[in-house]
Formats: sequence, structure tokens, C-alpha cells
Amino acid sequence: MTGTPVLAVHDVHVRFGGVRALDGVHLTVPPRRIVGLLGPNGAGKTTLFGVISGLLRPQQGRVHLAGRDVTGLPPARRSRAGLARTFQRLELFEHLTVREHLSLAWRMRRGRMRLFADLAGLTARASRDERARVDELLELFELGGVADQPATHLPLGTGRVVEVARAVATDPVVLLADEPFSGLSAEETRRLAAVFGRLRDEQGLAACIVEHDVETVLELADLVTVLDFGVVIADGTPVEVRGDPAVQAAYLGVAT
Amino acid sequence: MTPYLVGGLVVGSVYALAALGLILTYTSSRVFNFAQGALAFFCALTFRELVVEHGWPAVPAALVVVGLLAPLIGLALWAVLFRHLTHAPPHVRLVSTIGLWVAVPPVARILYGHEEIYDRTGLGPQPPHVYRPLGVVVDSDQLIVLGATVAIALGLVVMMRATPFGLAVRATVDAPVMAGVAGIDTRLVGAATWMIGTALAGASGVLLAPLRGYQETQFTFLLLGAFAAVVIARMHSLVAGVAGSLLIGLAQNLAQSSPFERVLVSVFGENSVLQRGLVPSIPFLLMLVFLVAYRGLQRERFTTDTRALRPSTTVSSEEAVGPGSRRRRALPLLVGVAVVLVLPEVLSGRWQAVVAKGLALAVAMLSYVVLTGQGGMISLCQITFAGIGGALTAQLATAWGWPVLPSIVVAALVVVPVGLLAALPSLRLGDLYLALATLAFAELVQNLFFQLERINNFDSGVRVPRPVLGPVNFGDDRAFYYLLVVAFLVVALLVLNLQRSTTGMALDALRSSEAAAATVGVGIVRAKLAAFGVSAFIAALGGGFYVTYARIAQPAQAFNALLGAVWLAVVVTWGVRSVGGALAAGLALAVLPQLFSEHLSGGWLEVPTVLFGLGAIALAREPRGVLVQVAERRRERRAARARRPAVAGVS
Repeated sequence: MTGTPVLAVHDVHVRFGGVRALDGVHLTVPPRRIVGLLGPNGAGKTTLFGVISGLLRPQQGRVHLAGRDVTGLPPARRSRAGLARTFQRLELFEHLTVREHLSLAWRMRRGRMRLFADLAGLTARASRDERARVDELLELFELGGVADQPATHLPLGTGRVVEVARAVATDPVVLLADEPFSGLSAEETRRLAAVFGRLRDEQGLAACIVEHDVETVLELADLVTVLDFGVVIADGTPVEVRGDPAVQAAYLGVAT
Repeated sequence: MTPYLVGGLVVGSVYALAALGLILTYTSSRVFNFAQGALAFFCALTFRELVVEHGWPAVPAALVVVGLLAPLIGLALWAVLFRHLTHAPPHVRLVSTIGLWVAVPPVARILYGHEEIYDRTGLGPQPPHVYRPLGVVVDSDQLIVLGATVAIALGLVVMMRATPFGLAVRATVDAPVMAGVAGIDTRLVGAATWMIGTALAGASGVLLAPLRGYQETQFTFLLLGAFAAVVIARMHSLVAGVAGSLLIGLAQNLAQSSPFERVLVSVFGENSVLQRGLVPSIPFLLMLVFLVAYRGLQRERFTTDTRALRPSTTVSSEEAVGPGSRRRRALPLLVGVAVVLVLPEVLSGRWQAVVAKGLALAVAMLSYVVLTGQGGMISLCQITFAGIGGALTAQLATAWGWPVLPSIVVAALVVVPVGLLAALPSLRLGDLYLALATLAFAELVQNLFFQLERINNFDSGVRVPRPVLGPVNFGDDRAFYYLLVVAFLVVALLVLNLQRSTTGMALDALRSSEAAAATVGVGIVRAKLAAFGVSAFIAALGGGFYVTYARIAQPAQAFNALLGAVWLAVVVTWGVRSVGGALAAGLALAVLPQLFSEHLSGGWLEVPTVLFGLGAIALAREPRGVLVQVAERRRERRAARARRPAVAGVS
């Protein structure tokens, strides 16, 4: 493999009452790889996402972030340790411009707020590093045209891109994207998928993408994990997964 | 002991009626009616007017007021105000009913005259009959209260549990959208609950008057007791609301009982502040105890709004400022400052003093720009921070003999930890609990600290000297006026810096989405505490300058906790996002009452307060405040001008 995985989920069990939402699930995201997490409705994708981001405590199992056990940490500590995420429903900062979204994310990762410097007006301007990185991301995500617009009036597709850009601006160890393509047109989906690809190839981004859109994921991801009824039914490269009879059964309802 | 138990149950019953109305309307519309006590006051005065001035018999008068007038008021207010608030941004939801709370009592006094009322007209005979069933002493007024409360509470329970209307209300409370889909007219339910809620306010008012008299303060105490009960009920449980009300009534009355009073006197001394201030403080002490306890229990209960409804209207309601308009936004401020600088040349000495007072208040108003404008939090104790700042300035400068200007700054620094302490128990509990906790804090400081002899000096206040700085003697009013302008500009600069800084962005982010802010690494409690600390500091500075200008510190009068509601209403009306709005608000608070008192008399003196309240109510329609509206109109005109030559060119 290519070194310590940036995200490793070992043998996670989650039960809600009598329902086994997750039953011994493993998931690995190697560095510089995009992992697609697929599964029909109710397969346990959202539950697994909750476990990884710290919103849900598993009854059993561990979560490692870049080799460090984060199973007991609350969500905020995990995000500071480098776990970034996007939301399925848009959660933009409606009072900030697109550029400010990225600036805030960049600054939060690199140091806490310094209140007295803030009051003295020392932090109103971006540092050269910050400006360079934010400009780079704006260009990469094709957001230059709306950089100084408030997030309030952005169309849904652009809003999704801003969410991803904001998460990337924190320079995450690993990015969790919760259905980043939902609600996007085919053209928008293609462009956002291309951005994910470039981020991985040019900047070494590692990501785990939960998605309904099977074709997009199979094209974009390096590795795919398929869940059904809380169990991993397939795990491998897109080509392997595409041919897997269990996957076809889960998606097409064919008896195996 | 028994008379105190009976008295406590009776007062608790009146609290319970008001609290039931609050819970009912809050659960059905997510709007917390700060005006519940004011509406009770209005209904009680109307009842008295009918009986005393128009000779109506008491029972029909009460039935007309509680059964007809109060529901009609509720319906009218629902139609023009509450209906629009359910989907308004949280701070507008809170501030609008605070505006109503500010506006209603003066309207009542304008209508019914504002002479002191000494009679205690009620439903029962005057003086009340006294009965002794089983050796317990009860008078007729108390029996009426107990009987009416039991009847109304039972009626409510039956209505909620056993009628189709009750079912519709409960369905709407649990899931408004689904209730609508299921064919329930949720607007009808909303209107009906507001009618019932206002009727309950009216009932509590008519029942309270014979017990406590017709002074407005008594109705404020009613309101505050009901608030505490509603906090105990966590805003939703009718049964816990009643239980909490009775608990507060009993605690207040037992604290007045002679055995307990003997203990207090022996501990604190005869007629000490703690002995006098304890009884009115009991609701707040209980409220704070429960807030702290609830914080330990399931905190997610409060943070997640069960409705999870965030319609798109909230997004556009507080528009961000477009590119390039930042510079233009500074224009009203520059104009304001220019006017303020020229004013001493044209104004008489008396009006210069009024404007100077307004400038000191404007410094305090800047604290809202940080806390409410940037942080999105509603505090009802900014005036208390200002009061503490003023009181400590007076102590340092007079009792300790410090120079005045350092005293103002040090006093403001001391207020910072006080501010953090006031906010800490409820920061995680959400907007409404923060507003109520800050109100509780303000009342506690009002009752227990501002009344200390050292601070209040038997209501005559503590003298504060004017500063002398080298050759400049600020004992001269004109010189001090310019010092105030400089102080305002310096603090305004700090606020503007903060708005554009990392903390400012983080607070903006928090206001939109706490979840997303947390995922990019914003420490939520830390950022909110930073805003609270800075705003407490600024408010205290304003208070320090205010008392130095006035040359006397009388915090119990000048910084009365209830005046804090007026401050909030005014600053939010002018625009709580901008420094210019704070300037306008401070000046309005000083100038308008003076203007009315110079040229008009009688009931007209109340008009500024009504205007202040109405301004906040108008926010339901335009949440961004007056200055933003003015700026928008300017922008539209500019845009129209820009279009015109283009059109001409085409033709």
C-alpha cells in the first residue's frame, strides 16, 4: 500500500435498538486516494459517516485518523485534527463572501483567533500565504467570478462547490463529502468531479465520498466500498466492484 | 406560617395563568411573548376603567375584558405581528415582542391617564371578606383567584386533551408542516392560541390588581415570575409551568414570613439590601439555578429546534453587503460625526448637554453592534454592564481618589469577567434562554448591587469628578463633549476592526450555521464568549463616560434593568449591524424624550417610548433596521440614475 491510511475504520458495530445499522464494517482511505462509499438507501452510509465524524458512538470498533485513534474524540476535536466534511444540505455562511469562506477556513486551521490583534485591526488583511492559497483554490474551483459575492444568492450548484472548497481550504488530512453531487446538473456534476480529481492528482487530497450516483463514483474513485444492510458487501477498485454479483444484486434486486 | 402558604399559592396561581399563556403561544409559534406582563397591565387598567370610571359591575366588566377584549387584542397582534415572526430570524423574533413590551404600558397610560392609582378594584368586595375555613385565614380576593385559576386550568386541560381543537393544536405544535398537510388550518390554530394566550394574560392582570394594586412594577414582577416558571417548564410543559409558578409564589411569600425574616435580619442586619432585595430576586435565583441544572442535563434538547424548519426567507432577510458598498456604508457614520462635531456651535448649552448624553449612550450602544449585530445574541443586560461600569467608575474616582479616565477604563475591565459570568450558564442553551438569563442577571444586579448604600448613596448617587488632562480641563462641558466624540470614534474603530477581523468572520459564520462553523474549526463557546466579553467592556465604558458627564452615578435609576429593553428596541430599530446605527440610537435615546418634554406635556410624554417600541415591532417586516433601508433607497436612486443615461443613449 501507499503508507499509513489517512482514515481507517475497524470493525465498527452500531445498533439502534434491535436494528444492526452497522455490523463489523471496515473502511480504509489511503493517502492521495478517493474512496467512494456506495450503497442503496438504508445501507448504513449515513450512520458510518456519523461514526467517522464523531456524531455517533459505535458500540464496538475504532476510528483512526492518520494513524491516531480518534474513536473517543468529539466532532470539533476531530475537525481540528484534520477531518473536514461537507454537508448534504447546504450549510453556507450567508453573511460571508465566497472568498471569506475560504479565508476563515484557512485561518482556523492555522491558529486560533487572536482577539487583541483583531481589535487592533491587524487581521483585517489576508497574509500573503493566505491570499495565495485562497486565490489558488478560487481558480481551481472556478469560483473567481463569484469570489466577492455573499453566499446568500448563489445557485445550488455553486453553493455545493463553495462547500467543498471551504472544506479543502482547511487543508484536511481527509475530506468527507456527504452526497456532494446531489441536486447538481449533469454538467455541474462532471465539473465538480473533475475538481476532485485534480485536487487528488495535483495536491494529494484524500477523500471519502458518499454518493447515490453510482456512475460518477465509479468513474472518479480509486477505491469503492459498498454497504448493504450494515455490512460491507464489496470492496475494491471500481472495475472489481462493477463486476461484483453481490453489488448487482443489491442495486438491481436480483436474487443471488 | 399558613397565611404565607395561602398567599404564596394565590400569587403562584396568578403567575401560573400568565405562564400558561406564554407556554401555549411559544409552543405553537416559537415566538416568546415578552409583552405578556404588559398585556396583563393593559387589560387590568381597562377593567378598572370600565368599573371605576364607567360604573360597570365588576363581573361583566371582567368577562368582557378577559373573554372579548383580550382575545381581540391577541387576534389583532397575531394578524399584524406574531404571524410574521414564526419564520423571522431569531433575534427579530425576540426583539419584536420586546418592543411590544416597551410600547404597550405607555399606550395604556395615554388612554387611561397616568395618575397614580391607589384603589385595588377587583372582582370581589372592597374591603375583602375574610373567611376561616378549618382555621385557615382566606379572604375573598384570594378565593376568587384560586377558584378562577383552577377553573381556567381545568378548562385548558379539557380543551387540549378532549376537543378536536386541542388535537389540532397539539398536532401543529409537534409538526406544523405535517399538520398542514393533514388538513389542519395551522393559521387558524396560530390565531386561536394567541387569542387564548392573550386572554390568559388578561385574566392574570385582572386577578393580580386587587392583590397588588395597579402600579406597572407589579405587572413587571408578574411577568418576571411567569418567565421563571416558563424556564422551569423548559418552555413546553404546561404542568411544570403551573408547578413552577406555585413554587415561585410560595418561595417568595415564605421568604417574607416572619421566622425567615428574623433569620435574614440576624444574618444581614436590619433593613439591609440583601434582606430587602431577596424577595424580588427569588424568581431570578430560581431561574438561574434551573438554567445551570438544565445545562448539565441533556443539553441537546435546547439546541435542536424540533421543527428543524429553516425556510428560505431567513436567508434573504439579512442580506450581506455587496462588494464595494463597505465604503459607502461608512458614509452615514461620517455624516453623523460631522453633524455631531458642528452641533456645539449651534446648540444652546442645554441641548448640547442632551446630545452629550446621547454620545455617551452611543458608546454603550456600540456594545450591541458586537454582541447582537455580529454575534447574533440578544442580551438584556447591556444596560447593567453600563451601570456597573458607571458605579465602579464613581467608586474608583471618588472613594479611592483615582484619576477619572483610568477609573473608567479599569472599571470597564472589571466588568469583562462579570459579563462572561452572566453569559456562561446559557450560551449553549440558545437565544431565548440567553435573553432570559441576561434579564435575570440584570434584575439581580438591580436588586442586590445597585441598591447598596455604597453604590446608590440612599438614592442620591455618588458624585463623579470631571477629568483634567494637562492644560485641558474637562470640567468645561464643551471640552468634555469633544472628549465624548473622541471616545465614540475610538470605540467605533475597535468595533469596525473586529467586524473585519478573523473573530468577526467567525461570528458571522456562527450566526449562519453553528454546525458548519464547528467543522471548519471555529470554537463556538470561545467565539461567543469573546463577543460577550468585548461587548461588556464597551457597555461599561459607555456607562463610565455617562456618569462622568452627568457628574453623578445613580445606577439604580439611570441604568434600571427594565430600561434595558428600551435600549435594545432602539438600537435594533436603527440598525444593530452598523456603527452609524449605534450613534443614531444613542442620540435618539437622549434627544427624543427631551424634545417631547420641551414642547408637549401630559400623555404625550409617553410617546417616545411608544415610538421606541413600535420601531422594534416594525422589524418583523424589515429586520435590518432604519439605516439599511435608507441606504437601500439611496442605492436604488443611484441605480436609477445610472440607468437613465444608458436608456437615453439607446434611444
